[in-house]
Amino acid sequence: MGSETRWARHLTVIVSLLAGAAVWEIAAYFTTRAFWAPLSETVGSLAESARSGVLMRQAMSSFQLYLTGLGLAILAGAPFGLLLARVRVLRVALENYIMMLYATPMVALIPFILSMMGFGFAPKVLVVFLFAVFPILYNTIEGARSIRPELVEVAHAFRSSEWQLWRDVMIPYTLPFAMTGIRQAIARGLVGMVAAEFFLSPSGLGQMIMMGSQNFDTAGLLAAILLIVVLGVCLMDLGRYLERRFAPWRGYE
Amino acid sequence: MSTNQVMLEQPAAGFAPGAKRLLASPPVLKVAAGIVLLCAWEGVVRVFAPAYVAKPTGIARVFFSVVSNEQFLAAAGATLWAVIQGLVIAIMLGMAVGLAMGRVTVVERGLRYYVNSLFATPMIAILPLVTLWFGYNADARLAVIVFAAFFSIAVNTCDGARSVPLEYLEVARSFRARPLSTLLDIVLPSSLPYLIAGMRLAAGRALVASVVAEFFISIPGLGYYILFNSRTFKHNEAFVAVIALVIVGVSFEAVLNWVTRRYLPWARRD
Repeated sequence: MGSETRWARHLTVIVSLLAGAAVWEIAAYFTTRAFWAPLSETVGSLAESARSGVLMRQAMSSFQLYLTGLGLAILAGAPFGLLLARVRVLRVALENYIMMLYATPMVALIPFILSMMGFGFAPKVLVVFLFAVFPILYNTIEGARSIRPELVEVAHAFRSSEWQLWRDVMIPYTLPFAMTGIRQAIARGLVGMVAAEFFLSPSGLGQMIMMGSQNFDTAGLLAAILLIVVLGVCLMDLGRYLERRFAPWRGYE
Repeated sequence: MSTNQVMLEQPAAGFAPGAKRLLASPPVLKVAAGIVLLCAWEGVVRVFAPAYVAKPTGIARVFFSVVSNEQFLAAAGATLWAVIQGLVIAIMLGMAVGLAMGRVTVVERGLRYYVNSLFATPMIAILPLVTLWFGYNADARLAVIVFAAFFSIAVNTCDGARSVPLEYLEVARSFRARPLSTLLDIVLPSSLPYLIAGMRLAAGRALVASVVAEFFISIPGLGYYILFNSRTFKHNEAFVAVIALVIVGVSFEAVLNWVTRRYLPWARRD
């Protein structure tokens, strides 16, 4: 019985994926090539760019941008977030501004960055950084707010040293929230990466999408979008894994 | 004993106790921090950046002429209207798909991979494709907004519909409730908190989608207003549009929080 239901589940998934592939393939025959390309051509275009080395080069360029921006955001955001968690005065003073920046659509700043910093690697990294850093700060602050003051008081009453306070109260309570922030940063950073590659100097996977659309190479365009989709799924799974792995003690709602 | 107490109550610094308390009180602290941040911005721009770069005094100088400018108001209206239209469409479609996925196993298994993977995709990546379909016009913007907002609504509604307590459904079955009233009276209300969480995500994504679409398509809106003015080195004017976007984003958030508190007090914020 158990194996049978598992089979049924696998079967529906397989059927759904095959149906999707079939719809993708067939849809192309009902529209012009400027609208949609069949799956076979898309895969062919992907294989072609993989063979010529374009795919590898563009993907590497995108990864480099993404990892630099995200890495800087984590390196800057996590320590600053923890500092805000510990120093109440700073947190109260800054939390509303960080909340506001968290809600700001950072894409709106791209034209300013373009005209001030021009083309190059640094402005693009700045865009990814801006997309990624505020979720980390915002969520760490939320974590700091979730610490009940009594816990800190008890720690003080038992003469905890600063290190013990961090180890037993601050880190365990804020880390799950910081991890949520990092998960959001992973997702938003990807949006920032694509936006930077579109609107600053074209490079990477964003450039592949742009070139596909400008040359009416719909198969190439769909191939690049497919890559971004796969990348997005992998990164989201990675983020969820990190959140669970490093903070299993946070209650699940 | 009493001298000890007096010693303890003496203020540590040179402030009178009242002044010290006032300085540490949240509103004063927040305003002071805001002033410090604005001064730092002004100072950095004055010292290091060219004259056209946006700075607080510059923005304040142009603020009223921009917000009373017809072109700016039209741009703000166009963006806001597109975002609201897109959100309404995305909420209706997303709820329908999400409820179907949450309650019907076959639908869930069939669509799960598509909805989840497109939820994880940065929707600006499909922007060039959408302009191929719709052309360089406002329809393409609306389509991108709907695409960006739809999946977070569908994913969250689906989670909500699946988290309906089993006992409620059993009670409904014992009372021989019709499927429609089970859906409307039990499934929908208990998935509302999830829907609100999805809407919060969707609103942010819709705003980003609208701005990006306007950059790309060059149609009137706040995004294009920013692009156009920053290209002509009118950064102060362009920044007023950024402020407008922040206000829109924060007000969506505030409205959703208010709705949650007022009508769904049992739903916790996460």
